Amino acid sequence: MVNIKINGKELKVEAGKLILDAARDEGHDIPTFCYQADLMGIGSCRMCLIEIEGQKKLQPSCITPVMDGMSILTDSPTVVSARSSMLEFLLTDHALDCPVCDKGGECELQDMVYKHGPHTGRHAEPKHRHHGKDYVLSPVIIKNSNRCVQCTKCVRVCSEIVGVGVLGSIGRGIHQEETSFFKTYLDCDHCGNCIEVCPVGCFMRLPYRYTSRSWDLKSADSICTYCATGCRVVIEERDGLLVRSRAQLGVGLNSETLCARGRFGYDIVNSDDRLTTPMVKKYGKLEPATWEEAFGAIRKGFRSSSPARTGGLISPRMTNEEIYLFSKLFKGPLQSNNVDSSMRWSPEAVEGFAAATSMTAGGVSIFDCMDSQSVFVVGTQLSDENPVVDYIVRRISNANGVQVAIASSRGMKLDSCASQTLRHAPATEGDLLGAAALLLADKDAVRFAGNADFNSIKATGIDTLAARSGVSRSEIEALVSSFGSSETVGIIAGTEFLRFPEGSASLALVVEALRGAGKKVTVIPVLDRCNQRGAWEMGAHPGLGTAYSREGVKGLGFAGMMNTASEGKLDSIYIVGENPVVEYGDGNFARDAIGKVGFVVVQDTFMTETAALADVILPGVTFAEKDGTYTNQEGRVQSINRLLPPPGDAKRDLEIISTIYNIFSGTDDVPVKKSAGIFAEIREKVSTYAKVDLSFNNEKNTFNDLDNKESLVGGSSASLSMPQVTGSAASSLASDGHAGFTLVTGNHLYHSGRLSLRSEILGGFIKGAIVEISEEDADRLGITSGEKVTVAGSRYKAELVLKTRKGSASGVAFIAENYNDVPVHKFFRRGESVASVKIARS
Amino acid sequence: MEKILLKNIDKPEAYKLENYVANGGYKSIRKALEMEPDHIIQMVKDSNLRGRGGAGFPAGLKWSFIPKDPTLQKYLCCNADEGEPGTFKDRAIMDKDPHLLLEGMMITCYAIGASIGYVYIRGEFEYGASMLEAAIDEAYEKGFLGKDIFGSDFSLDLYVHRGAGAYICGEETALLESLEGGRGQPRKKPPFPALAGLYAKPTVINNVETLGCIPAILEKGPEWFKAIGPEKSPGTRICGVSGHVKKPGLYELPMGVPLRELIFDHCGGMRGNKPLKAVIPGGVSAPMLVEADIDTPMDFDSMAAKGTMLGSSAVIVMEEGTCMVKVAYITSRFFSHESCGKCTPCREGTSWQTRVLHRIEHGEGRPGDVELLESLCENIFGRTFCPLGDGAVMALRGALKHFKEEFVYHIQHKKCMVDS
Repeated sequence: MVNIKINGKELKVEAGKLILDAARDEGHDIPTFCYQADLMGIGSCRMCLIEIEGQKKLQPSCITPVMDGMSILTDSPTVVSARSSMLEFLLTDHALDCPVCDKGGECELQDMVYKHGPHTGRHAEPKHRHHGKDYVLSPVIIKNSNRCVQCTKCVRVCSEIVGVGVLGSIGRGIHQEETSFFKTYLDCDHCGNCIEVCPVGCFMRLPYRYTSRSWDLKSADSICTYCATGCRVVIEERDGLLVRSRAQLGVGLNSETLCARGRFGYDIVNSDDRLTTPMVKKYGKLEPATWEEAFGAIRKGFRSSSPARTGGLISPRMTNEEIYLFSKLFKGPLQSNNVDSSMRWSPEAVEGFAAATSMTAGGVSIFDCMDSQSVFVVGTQLSDENPVVDYIVRRISNANGVQVAIASSRGMKLDSCASQTLRHAPATEGDLLGAAALLLADKDAVRFAGNADFNSIKATGIDTLAARSGVSRSEIEALVSSFGSSETVGIIAGTEFLRFPEGSASLALVVEALRGAGKKVTVIPVLDRCNQRGAWEMGAHPGLGTAYSREGVKGLGFAGMMNTASEGKLDSIYIVGENPVVEYGDGNFARDAIGKVGFVVVQDTFMTETAALADVILPGVTFAEKDGTYTNQEGRVQSINRLLPPPGDAKRDLEIISTIYNIFSGTDDVPVKKSAGIFAEIREKVSTYAKVDLSFNNEKNTFNDLDNKESLVGGSSASLSMPQVTGSAASSLASDGHAGFTLVTGNHLYHSGRLSLRSEILGGFIKGAIVEISEEDADRLGITSGEKVTVAGSRYKAELVLKTRKGSASGVAFIAENYNDVPVHKFFRRGESVASVKIARS
Repeated sequence: MEKILLKNIDKPEAYKLENYVANGGYKSIRKALEMEPDHIIQMVKDSNLRGRGGAGFPAGLKWSFIPKDPTLQKYLCCNADEGEPGTFKDRAIMDKDPHLLLEGMMITCYAIGASIGYVYIRGEFEYGASMLEAAIDEAYEKGFLGKDIFGSDFSLDLYVHRGAGAYICGEETALLESLEGGRGQPRKKPPFPALAGLYAKPTVINNVETLGCIPAILEKGPEWFKAIGPEKSPGTRICGVSGHVKKPGLYELPMGVPLRELIFDHCGGMRGNKPLKAVIPGGVSAPMLVEADIDTPMDFDSMAAKGTMLGSSAVIVMEEGTCMVKVAYITSRFFSHESCGKCTPCREGTSWQTRVLHRIEHGEGRPGDVELLESLCENIFGRTFCPLGDGAVMALRGALKHFKEEFVYHIQHKKCMVDS
């Protein structure tokens, strides 16, 4: 601590703190353009100049740390005049075209000039103009450099946070322009973070252009509903259309950053294809119906089915309240444990993953995880699946010198800030981690003596495990030694452990071995659906109730329901927000199976292939039209707020589920219209949610602190077991015979499931389905990026565009699971996610 | 007077290693290699040698800031980005006597424990760069550079790095940024280069002329050096004289020689014997002096006392009849052209200043323009990220201080006062 004075007031502040932060904490207003807490300080805009008594020159408070005995003046006449003169300078070459600028009304330059600036101008010379008309940098970015204030936040966010570094400053002096090389189309992530950090109307979002003035917008605080990172967004509408989704500085774990999905995937809400009226099958044909008819049909349909032959599937994109009530409906009035929320993974895989990532222990903040000396990213294509986590890892690891190791079979953007990258064969996370666990447990054999999983990998042996994973023993040793030299280890583990559940046991062993060695280990699960964790914790799992409590009777998971259905033994099924006919591993099988179910209810926002098979279709709403809470992958509970009314006759999902609940419970127990009541019940019934603080969520935090630990779920006493999973991936490949490439899947950077395909903006980023292989493999095949190729497996064959990816393991091919025209699951055996394929030029 | 820096300059083929050695070169480095590095630093400190790049920071003190930790990589960067208008002194050393610079760098590297040194040379100095490279090649061949130089256990590599034509890269942190392959813009200080400079390692940055003094200090001792010129800024100085004098050129003189002696004795007086109107004593960033001031001795402290600076001792002499508005305009145009664009007051302010001066110079001045210029100066000065903006202001303030009536006349009469 040091003693300083700010405007005469004596203070004790932390040594090394920036004068700017110290003054702002005291409530003094110091304007800035180039300063942003998360970016490297450059001190260039000179807005934050302050006076230090005894120093001749004014000093930039954003890069000057406090020193003992400093007496700082933030409002002296010199400071005030400097501030106003900087604004005068900035306005000399500023376009001053506020009436046609999208930023008008929410422009930091406008606000500052209003507050601090000269209100008359002295500059009467011709302005420097960088260019004439605005120019387009990407399908979502349009640029007008004539408004630029040269804060270079766009350049810094692009390289320091997003890690693509496609923007740079070109030219010198007044000719300096922040743009891409040769001002051409950006080959970037289209995340639009450059737009968000731009204080003026220099970087603008193309889809929003000229749609509204900021003061005509109505807004609501919400959460991005694509992946499970849980980024806070503000959604904004005008005249009933959602026109913008943006992030706010200092709010939520993402602060001002979002990925392309979060910033531009909002337009699904406005789609013309939304379901707006209930439909009921009459004489074999779906016809528009009233809600009374629909509920009547449901009353009849479910009444006649026996509990064991009733099933429910709810999307992990629904809110906690909806999922809680849905599970309660099945496990209560309908007396069936056949409830699932993870169509793509088996219930055992879910339990294993939840156990390995210590989900029962409660929420863990990503910032705590990054507060480790070494961080290990495994089983996730983090840069594509959870882009904002990628940003956080990049930012913090670069700032704090965290050692990052990444194990994956494909290259990813984050590789550039890793000190070690391991490239293993697909589906061999278990082998890699098994070898690591054996190396780690070397000195701690007693602890694992009775552990069956450990004995089984021990019997296999390090060298065999390493050979299977395709990673050399020395690389695994290097990984283990980097753990060894760290007292704190963070592990970020992703959905590959759900796709290839045999890996979870090894992950759990690694964690246990590290903890056994006295290390502080923080594990963060990363997931690809916004409320996947919440869905599990609300009990939408056939074997687990709320907060991972074990159900007495194990129900059927979705795969089990489909198997039962295909035998004609499922009487009814209620599917909310999912489309198994295209997204379940084996779509045709699901189609046939669902076709054999006596009574099918589908509740969704769009007409889907699955809805087409339904007896009753219930039009629900999107995140923009409802209230509720989501639990992100860390266990952070955050709320969404309605902004728009449901389209047409559609109803809020909670209202629909409550009505159905009341029908079968025979009471009016559940309030139909309010989600707050359900959350109160969740607090009461789900122990881990009892103390969750929602009030924090929509508040702006103090600077540099994005972490609201109060919103993390608590720990439970539930104990999960590590289910025995028989290795499926390897056997699948063996039966395929090796044909050149091993095909894997996952989410594309611009998509999350199939919902995002409804977004016209996101759809504009990629034209057609892509297969990705490594650069070296493409060279070997003599195929260049962009060429059409045929990917042929033993079950399916498709034509796609080939793209190369830097740093991928040799022999790995990737097709995202998001394409309608090339359903990647057709390459796989049902329930699996790996296959052998041949790739050849078409 | 004995020359230190230009002593070999007129000798035939002085650039060749054998001739440099024949003229007594590469003795000091041999001597240095037998000394303790700290002893060398102390000698340079004792000599009161002050940096010749412009700021006049004591060289020995700068070296002493380098951490002594032997495991740390350290660097020496020679600032050869001579870009200050009017300055052409370093160029002569590099073109004609490159081994003098190399020897100075070798001693400095040894003293601070740097195993790598760079010469960051102005992009336009193509010839100088080729001379230096040839000299470095020769030195490697002889074993004067590379592993275990001169048979000692000290190894040193020197490289020449050509700039790309930006004045700002003469600012030491922008130079480092450019040397690293980044955009030539100054870095924030602290950290100072002595602790985190090139590639975030301890780095000394010295001007060519400063380094050129080192061999002589080693050879003849600090006391000898201190005896030349005033005690607080001793040594000789290469004055690059340009403008309206009979014999413009480079003159190596002891520090503290009055401007009058330089102009009227050494340079043969004013061209056509016209009266002297103004002198810029240290590159265009230094405010100009008028006839009445030319008895001021040319050393750092005396010049500062006169409100100007010795800078790079590039003396630009202007005769009666020179339009000061035009001088101010051309100078300002240079600064706004060379402003790197990083900070607001320099980028926008110098450019605005130039626009106003352009207007006045072209007969479109308006009443109030002088006050506007003075206000712009006030708003830029001391508020920029690096001294470039200050330089622009100082140049303009100098002209306004002595010749305000010319500006006023220009605005009122739409033409030059001096031509009429």
